Amino acid sequence: MSIMKSVNDFLTRLSSKLKGGGDKAIEKQKKKGKNTARERVEDLLLDEDSFLEIDLFVEHSVKDFGMDRKELAGDGVITGYGKVHGRPVAVFAQDFTVAGGSLGRAHSKKIVKVMDGAAEAGIPLIGINDSGGARIQEGVESLCGYGEIFYRNTKLSGVVPQISVILGPCAGGAVYSPALTDFVFVVDGISNMFITGPQVIKTVLGEDITQEELGGAFTQASITGNAHFYAKSETEAFNTLKKLLSFLPANSNENPPVRSSIPPDQPLGDDVIPDNRRQAYCVKDIIRGIVDASDFLEVHKHFAANMVVGFARLAGQPIGIIANQPRVLAGVLDVDASDKAARFIRFCDCFNIPLLTLVDTPGYLPGADQEHAGVIRHGAKILYAYSEASVPKMTVIMRKAYGGAYIAMCSRHLGATFVASWPCGEIAVMGPEGAANIIFRREIAAAENPVEYRQEMIREYEEKFANPYVAANKGYIDTIIRASMTRETLIKVLSRTGLSRKGRPHGNIPL
Amino acid sequence: MEKKLDKLIIDDTEYVTEIPDHCRKPYKCVPDPSEITAFIPGTIVEIKVSEGDSVEAGAILLLLDAMKMHNEICSAKRGIIGKIHVCEGDSVQKNQLLISLIYPE
Repeated sequence: MSIMKSVNDFLTRLSSKLKGGGDKAIEKQKKKGKNTARERVEDLLLDEDSFLEIDLFVEHSVKDFGMDRKELAGDGVITGYGKVHGRPVAVFAQDFTVAGGSLGRAHSKKIVKVMDGAAEAGIPLIGINDSGGARIQEGVESLCGYGEIFYRNTKLSGVVPQISVILGPCAGGAVYSPALTDFVFVVDGISNMFITGPQVIKTVLGEDITQEELGGAFTQASITGNAHFYAKSETEAFNTLKKLLSFLPANSNENPPVRSSIPPDQPLGDDVIPDNRRQAYCVKDIIRGIVDASDFLEVHKHFAANMVVGFARLAGQPIGIIANQPRVLAGVLDVDASDKAARFIRFCDCFNIPLLTLVDTPGYLPGADQEHAGVIRHGAKILYAYSEASVPKMTVIMRKAYGGAYIAMCSRHLGATFVASWPCGEIAVMGPEGAANIIFRREIAAAENPVEYRQEMIREYEEKFANPYVAANKGYIDTIIRASMTRETLIKVLSRTGLSRKGRPHGNIPL
Repeated sequence: MEKKLDKLIIDDTEYVTEIPDHCRKPYKCVPDPSEITAFIPGTIVEIKVSEGDSVEAGAILLLLDAMKMHNEICSAKRGIIGKIHVCEGDSVQKNQLLISLIYPE
């Protein structure tokens, strides 16, 4: 074959491979409002012309069930390397137009290769899931493929950031690769995740539930907490993903990327929160008043809304924020909030991201359902995560810090680097009402006017304990600051605490 | 969209806050032993008792076909069959009341 003939032959083969499942299948994909795998990788995720594809010419070697006559372009997955805002990443995208994106041996080997590539280069791994599941014709070979991916997801955990974008079905065993990664994105009307689908549930249990209700995007983002980010479109999901990457280092040996400092749009005044401890407010307003450019990327926005977590910058340095949300359930700790906070703290600790904890919580949510759902076991995860974390840990007590929840929210006792309180901070075993009822039970019962006497005792307790000075006297709080001084103070703390720890301290187990 | 604010009491202090819907569902922690319910949806295969019968703890009351299994539904305590709410062949939903029992004091 002459050189030009071989080049032409190559170009013919290439154009056929680049078409994935062909025009008809692409049209079907488009009709569902979905982009093709190639568009997702090249147009939505990566910087222009940065994609280096590998293994496009990989083919399966299955002979059973007529598979020997089937040619599957790239075996249903696109893999390679590219750049996001100039920083390298490894990527794979399942191609639903090729045999429904089903996972066979060759398909999984391609994914495994880029995973190993991500480990070797120390760069984030981004997986785009759009697959009908295991390629049944391949039997155990397909299961082997899943297993090898799960194994690497686990070994890579805490080494490089792993992000999954669910852009189609992701059912059965396939759900566990995303579940092992650090962040999962879902898109309204496109993503679906479940172990057993609505059909099986109908057959076995006789229960009717739609695919959307069972495992649609919003279900996964709000009820189960499997998804960390919920977007209305694929474009929105990828834009948020790029923003997320801007806070993260490429691997656990590096520090997160620092930018220049931008003051918040609306700096905090001293009277930002209601002084009545029973009154709600939105803690996100406080966060925006502290961080650079008032820019806060919230994680798990729709799940366990009584706890707010997310990324922001302080004087250009990325930080992870964990905050009680008095607007929802008065900011209590419960099962879901504990899981949410603990996993976020551990992620930040893996990737050298300092923590800022904003405290205003009345305690744990009372109730038999919480106890039976394991609030002891789940609540313990916050204590573990904070105590374990070796990144700088800054805590600001804004108002209430009661009982076990005070300890759990990154108190000095769990190894906080720096603890401040606003002047309205209340560090106590419980709120004045409950405390007065217990301490002065006999006196209240014996009083001539119990209601009036009780109010008096509540006031006495408030004066004595509903302030930050007792804790500050003992040195459990390093300083008392006005709300308006918060940003300035935290920047001072950050500038003195270096991020010197290197290496993988631990993985980021799904909690 | 601002949601309606409600009251939540913790340690005798009343907080004004938002309470998500899933936190409002009533939670029954201890099942009532006098109500025999279907723990799974299925079909009643056979009813082994009649109203007025005395039964021992652990007695098989009926067979419920579900998940390709004949599940034995038993009495938790010694008692008397008060009312049988289903017939053989009935399809039942999860948590549907099947038999009411009366327990002697």
